[in-house]
Amino acid sequence: MELSRRTFLKNTALVTSAFIVGFYLPVKASAAEDTKETNRLKPNAFIKIDADNTITFFMGQAEMGQGTYTALAMCIADELDAHWEAVHFKASGIDPVYNSVFGPWMLTAGSTSISTKQLEMRQVGAAVNLMLKKAAAARWNTDLSNIKTHNAEVMNLKTGDKFTYGDLVSDIKTMSIPQDPELKALKDCSLIGKPTKRHPSEAWAKVTGQAEYGVDVRMENLKYAAVLHPAVFGAKIVSFDASKALKRNGIIKIKQIPNGISVIAEHWFQAKEALNYIDVVWDKGEFAKISTKDIRKEYDALLHTPGASMRRDGDTAKAFKEAHSIISADYEFPFLAHAPMEPLNCTVHHTGDSAKMWTGGQVQTVYQKVCADILGLKPEAVEYNNTFLGGGFGRRAAANADYINDAVYNAKNEAWPIMTLWTREDDIRMGNYRPMYKNKARVALNKHGDITAFEAKVVGQPVVKDTILGFLFKDGVDWAQWDGLTDHPYSIANHDMQAHSPSSPIPVLWWRSVGHTQTAPLVEGIVDEAAYKAGVDPIAYRISMLEDLRCIKLLEDVAKISDWKNRKKEKNIGYGVALVKSFGSIVAQVAKVKVSKNDFKVLKVWCSVDCGFAINPLNIENQMISGINFGLAPTKYSEITIKNGEAEQNNFYDYLVTRISDAPDIQVSIVNSGDKIGGIGETAVPPIFPAVANAIFDATGKRYHSLPIKIS
Amino acid sequence: MTTKLKIDGTTYDVTVDEETPLLWVLREYLNLTGTKYGCGVAQCGACTVLLDGKAVRSCATNLKEIGDKEIMTIANKTDPLLKKVQEAWVEEDVPQCGYCQSGQIMNATGLLKANHNPSEKEIVAGMNGNICRCGTYNRIKNAIKKINAGA
Ligand code: FES
Ligand code: FES
Repeated sequence: MELSRRTFLKNTALVTSAFIVGFYLPVKASAAEDTKETNRLKPNAFIKIDADNTITFFMGQAEMGQGTYTALAMCIADELDAHWEAVHFKASGIDPVYNSVFGPWMLTAGSTSISTKQLEMRQVGAAVNLMLKKAAAARWNTDLSNIKTHNAEVMNLKTGDKFTYGDLVSDIKTMSIPQDPELKALKDCSLIGKPTKRHPSEAWAKVTGQAEYGVDVRMENLKYAAVLHPAVFGAKIVSFDASKALKRNGIIKIKQIPNGISVIAEHWFQAKEALNYIDVVWDKGEFAKISTKDIRKEYDALLHTPGASMRRDGDTAKAFKEAHSIISADYEFPFLAHAPMEPLNCTVHHTGDSAKMWTGGQVQTVYQKVCADILGLKPEAVEYNNTFLGGGFGRRAAANADYINDAVYNAKNEAWPIMTLWTREDDIRMGNYRPMYKNKARVALNKHGDITAFEAKVVGQPVVKDTILGFLFKDGVDWAQWDGLTDHPYSIANHDMQAHSPSSPIPVLWWRSVGHTQTAPLVEGIVDEAAYKAGVDPIAYRISMLEDLRCIKLLEDVAKISDWKNRKKEKNIGYGVALVKSFGSIVAQVAKVKVSKNDFKVLKVWCSVDCGFAINPLNIENQMISGINFGLAPTKYSEITIKNGEAEQNNFYDYLVTRISDAPDIQVSIVNSGDKIGGIGETAVPPIFPAVANAIFDATGKRYHSLPIKIS
Repeated sequence: MTTKLKIDGTTYDVTVDEETPLLWVLREYLNLTGTKYGCGVAQCGACTVLLDGKAVRSCATNLKEIGDKEIMTIANKTDPLLKKVQEAWVEEDVPQCGYCQSGQIMNATGLLKANHNPSEKEIVAGMNGNICRCGTYNRIKNAIKKINAGA
């Protein structure tokens, strides 16, 4: 993406006893706008230093488990020479200074927090460090070269005198901020590049139950709301009778909102129980006739008609005509709920011409605007407070803002702050799923077994179309349809890849690793089939088709750590490999799987990752473990199926996810190629689907193309 | 009606329908929000607390079932075993989003109270009712193995 922007630093907020540095990034940089922007500069801030030497970092990126607070704080703290254990974090408010490089809003998604922010955070830290040194040098009347910083103190190397950073706050407040501060050489960094545990303040808050998630927000007079939603997607309320529900203990008010019927009560459990006593007449609509088998039929029909072109080069018709052999496969992937551990919630207090809201969100600016629009306010009139997120996986960046809408309508014109909390059942049944897909792939092989042509068709609802990421929907093709497919890493001369975008009343959404959830099992599945057909070792076969040296090196690395060459042929045990480039990083995995009569168990996964440079290797290891265990759920269990227009699943007893008994041994190897820094949070998910499917083939001789894999 | 509850060394009087699950009494009547709601139907373990040292799902435990049993939650500051478990969790870098971890830690504490030195198999069986969507299971296993519950 082309982004012209300049960066410059300003000390913007002068709090009496503290110093705050803002790092200002106008997205559009033209001379005229520069002046305008400068004039309306707000207290944009990343670092606050108090006179008592308390140092606080303001985090614009949301912490949803991926370790962003710690990694970005490492970048600031290292350059600032702060005392690591002693720094504090605070979620920032909303301000353009924290905006994403993708658009004028704050966004934590696409595994971009570190790759797009780390350099800025280092510069912020380095700039303030230089200012502190300059201030001390002036006080001591000595040269900068005689000065060193360490653990939030400035030292005079000649005299041994010291100042804390806090001592120098008043000196640096009026100083101009250096624009191009020198960054530390990586070898001099004490945090960056070193395995670093979750910052103790966050870790301890989370192990003692002190961490505040959206669902934990408490305030005076807080009321709670539960919402009765339609079970059939797209159903409408004709009429309802809430008289029985209203008589129950603690019920304050029952009202219709666009998305359902909302019960406001003194306590949430009362509200939730009262939902069972509301009688509703529904207009279920046409979709009530639809079940998964109907959707399957519709998608199957589409598979046989030409779709929008995603990639076309060479002459596939000719290649297939001349092929020595052809492999074709059909794939089906179901709808998937994200099911983050913390059920969805948002608290809103509407106070006439202003409002406050609290939630753990991945798109703060968007949620603020949704709230403002519903209440008829300007976004600035809505104070947005971001909490920790009890998991996100994309669900807390809801394009249709479903649960936020509910919360705002519930609180609109009401006297109290109201927490709207969805049940787990709401979360599983209300959509915003990873779309269902039916795909087809075909490859032509020449007599040496090389792939000469690759055809694919993807049928699935578009994800980014009509969202803030709409620019990724182009020429009738959705990012979630092509990502990982049209840009696969293998050298193949001829392509014909097409997509269909059916529509339905089921809302769909990005789901951890987005398009790769459907393209990785397809690409890495069919390439594996080709290797087998060619009679070549699957790793050697992949390497023979790769030009990208990073990919080759990573496959060699995973072969080495898994001792691939010496893997034993044992009964019912198989090994499978997969390689996926996603979000600017590359991950290769080898899975060892044991297959029994109607079941399989992933025993071990070897995982090699190259994200360019590992800012926090320990967190990268954690994210690999996380992604693998997360990806195993839809490999083995999770699926949302539709019957008579409703989701058939309800809660964790029928929407199954990975448990500790499913978690394989995982060994991670980090390869620092020194290339551009890529993302991490989503990248371990895609390869696990095909690695496991390929391992099951190795064990049984049977190919499973669809997920979840049901051994038969 | 009023019920007496002994929670982490403090006695509370709560006036609440005795059919109310303990989870909601903790979270909303007493604002002890460390204990989490994840599923409400005893499937995920996020709401785990100890009742007289035994792990129970507070979302599926009504007030009237509690009687005079002692309730221990994640907010307990005096139980030495709980402290050890929390330390091991930080040491092994377990928490990611952290939302499930109150329940994981309470469940592990209950497990270790009953069995000072669980085998890998016993850990897996004992912890299988606790879901972590962030997939921190491998770290959880390591943390539990490191804890010397007997000392
Ligand atoms: S909330 Fe109690 S087990 Fe899930
Ligand atoms: S740490 Fe996020 S659900 Fe367990």
